[in-house]
Amino acid sequence: MTLTRRQFGQIGLGAMAAGAAGFPLGLARPALAQNEPIRIGWLAAMTGPSSAPAVGFNRGVEFAAAAINAAGGVKGRKIDIITRDTQGDPTKCVNATQEMISQVKAHAIWGPTNSGESLAVTAIMARAKMPNVHPCVVDSLIDEKRYPNAFRLAPSNTQWDDAVRNYCLKILKVKKVAVIGDTTGYGVSAAKASVAGFQKDGAEVVYQANIDSTQPDMTPDMLRARNAGAEAIVVWSVSTGMDARLFNTRAGMGWDVPFVGHPSMASGEIAGLVNKPENWKKVYAIGYRSCSYDAEGKLPAHTQELVDRLKGKVSLDDTLLWWVAGGYDAVQLVADAVKETGSSASADIIGYWNSLKKYPGYFGTYTFSPTEHNGYPTEDVVMSEASSARSGTFALAPGYS
Amino acid sequence: MLASILATGLAMGAVYALIGITYNTMFATSRVMSFTAGQLGMLGGVFGSLLMLQWGLPLIVALPLTLAACALVGVVTEFVAVRPVLKSLDQHLYVLTTLAVALIIQQITAIEWGTEPAPFPRLLEVGEGVWHEKYWLPVAACAVTIGGLEYLYRRTLLGHAFIAVAEDNFAARALGLPERNLRIGSYALAGAIGALAGFSGGQLLLAFFANGPLLNFYGFIPVALGGLGNNRGAVIGGLALGLFQQAANFTVGGIFSSVAVFVLFIVVLLAAPQGLFGAAASRRV
Repeated sequence: MTLTRRQFGQIGLGAMAAGAAGFPLGLARPALAQNEPIRIGWLAAMTGPSSAPAVGFNRGVEFAAAAINAAGGVKGRKIDIITRDTQGDPTKCVNATQEMISQVKAHAIWGPTNSGESLAVTAIMARAKMPNVHPCVVDSLIDEKRYPNAFRLAPSNTQWDDAVRNYCLKILKVKKVAVIGDTTGYGVSAAKASVAGFQKDGAEVVYQANIDSTQPDMTPDMLRARNAGAEAIVVWSVSTGMDARLFNTRAGMGWDVPFVGHPSMASGEIAGLVNKPENWKKVYAIGYRSCSYDAEGKLPAHTQELVDRLKGKVSLDDTLLWWVAGGYDAVQLVADAVKETGSSASADIIGYWNSLKKYPGYFGTYTFSPTEHNGYPTEDVVMSEASSARSGTFALAPGYS
Repeated sequence: MLASILATGLAMGAVYALIGITYNTMFATSRVMSFTAGQLGMLGGVFGSLLMLQWGLPLIVALPLTLAACALVGVVTEFVAVRPVLKSLDQHLYVLTTLAVALIIQQITAIEWGTEPAPFPRLLEVGEGVWHEKYWLPVAACAVTIGGLEYLYRRTLLGHAFIAVAEDNFAARALGLPERNLRIGSYALAGAIGALAGFSGGQLLLAFFANGPLLNFYGFIPVALGGLGNNRGAVIGGLALGLFQQAANFTVGGIFSSVAVFVLFIVVLLAAPQGLFGAAASRRV
């Protein structure tokens, strides 16, 4: 909203008059606040490496903002999305966050969308008491005491780990697993946590390894896993090249062991990297119930409603539905906070989010409380058939009802 | 297991050897260790995939275009990162300038090409199993390269001029040899050799922006093992490295195989600092 000099003068005179009448000057501000746009800062890695999620999220963000504004806004207040391209760079993300806090004076921030950036800015936002919702998976990003302003609308690493382990032990009913990670910090820590989880639940981890994702031949590790008696191979790596090499090696060995693990195994790039399409079968990657279709090819009704709304307006062919749905939900969470509390003050937005129980978002049904800011339900983290992508959704892996 | 060690080990060893030769070719005329060598290998894979899979060009067109494109990158490296620091070689500023160019190449590739590995096409549709072309193509490319370089250096006037500049560039210039043009030529040649490494090893390494640092590291080892400037030493060092690395993958596995490779590298350098095939440096007294 732009103030003209005359409007500014009128507000100033009004404030002076109110002061002269014995009212506190602050009373003049709510009138302005009630009409000003709701400013949502959007920290998006729109370009550079790892930009695919933000590009998908952005489609949901823009669609949600346009839909709310077309319906008259939130109590007459328009949604104003202020986007900054952080390029996946934590330094740029810190600068953008400072700008959102001190210059843009955002009412809430959505993002960033990768954990490296989020680790750099979470404490900054906490100091400014900035309501923040993000989809990053690193567990330490959510700490209700240190960061009472930060909320996660996607699963954490622990929830991913639980879902993979439950699928292996309860649905595939395997007792012996091999756990393989890449040699990145993420791959090492995720594989270690996964091994501990399996052992805690009584499963036998017959082989564990961290492999350099650029290693051209995966035969040595696959042979060791087979010789150790592995009944399933759990993979924690973001490298699609490593995933594809593992699948090709399995096929070359004539082994039909299932792969279970990281969502990267369902990435579209793998289609071009596997030697034959059938090499990608019996691979189950982490997915979400809300964005998975059943044996009849049907999505959950609530998700289908979103897909119908998006039809012809938002492309889902080159992205994932959960990214679009997550972006939509983030904007809607801020809008609903202002709508229900009648305020865009940070304490009111945070208070509203803390009160949510089974909030029906499109990506998930979120529940937050002052002591739990991981809002995504673990039971909705499911395994998908990795090679079954269809307009950003996946088929449920076998064994789910 | 033995067949797998031999097939993958020799193939990767040949790729490392070609990158080592790339280092040597640039070093010969400039006395600069250019850390763009690995990136040239990476670009060979990326250009190959781009030209053949995305643009649909046949091998006979795509290979020369890839070599030419990387030769151009080599020439640009000479202009941008090497020539400005030649007067102060003793300050080793080339480490910074060539690393900077390498980083620029990698970042541009990441932004324009993408950060996910892309497939590389089968080139000749020949062989299966351990005789798959992805295993023997790098070895063949390495053999052709070393043979071609031997012919160039020993049988042609141009090759003699290269060697003259490599031996003593001041004397070569005094004799009227176009030292600057020969240096540009050697960077173009190095670019083409680096590209051939990535192109012939593309089916193993895929077209992936992060292959550059990997090839930079593992391509440097044959140079150190074989002796700086010694192409035959680089080939033997590269093949030995590939075989040892693959054997370590089978015996100690994954992350420890890299440790084993570098332990061996350090041990060899402690025993023979000039490299296994390099002559001890003479010092004027």
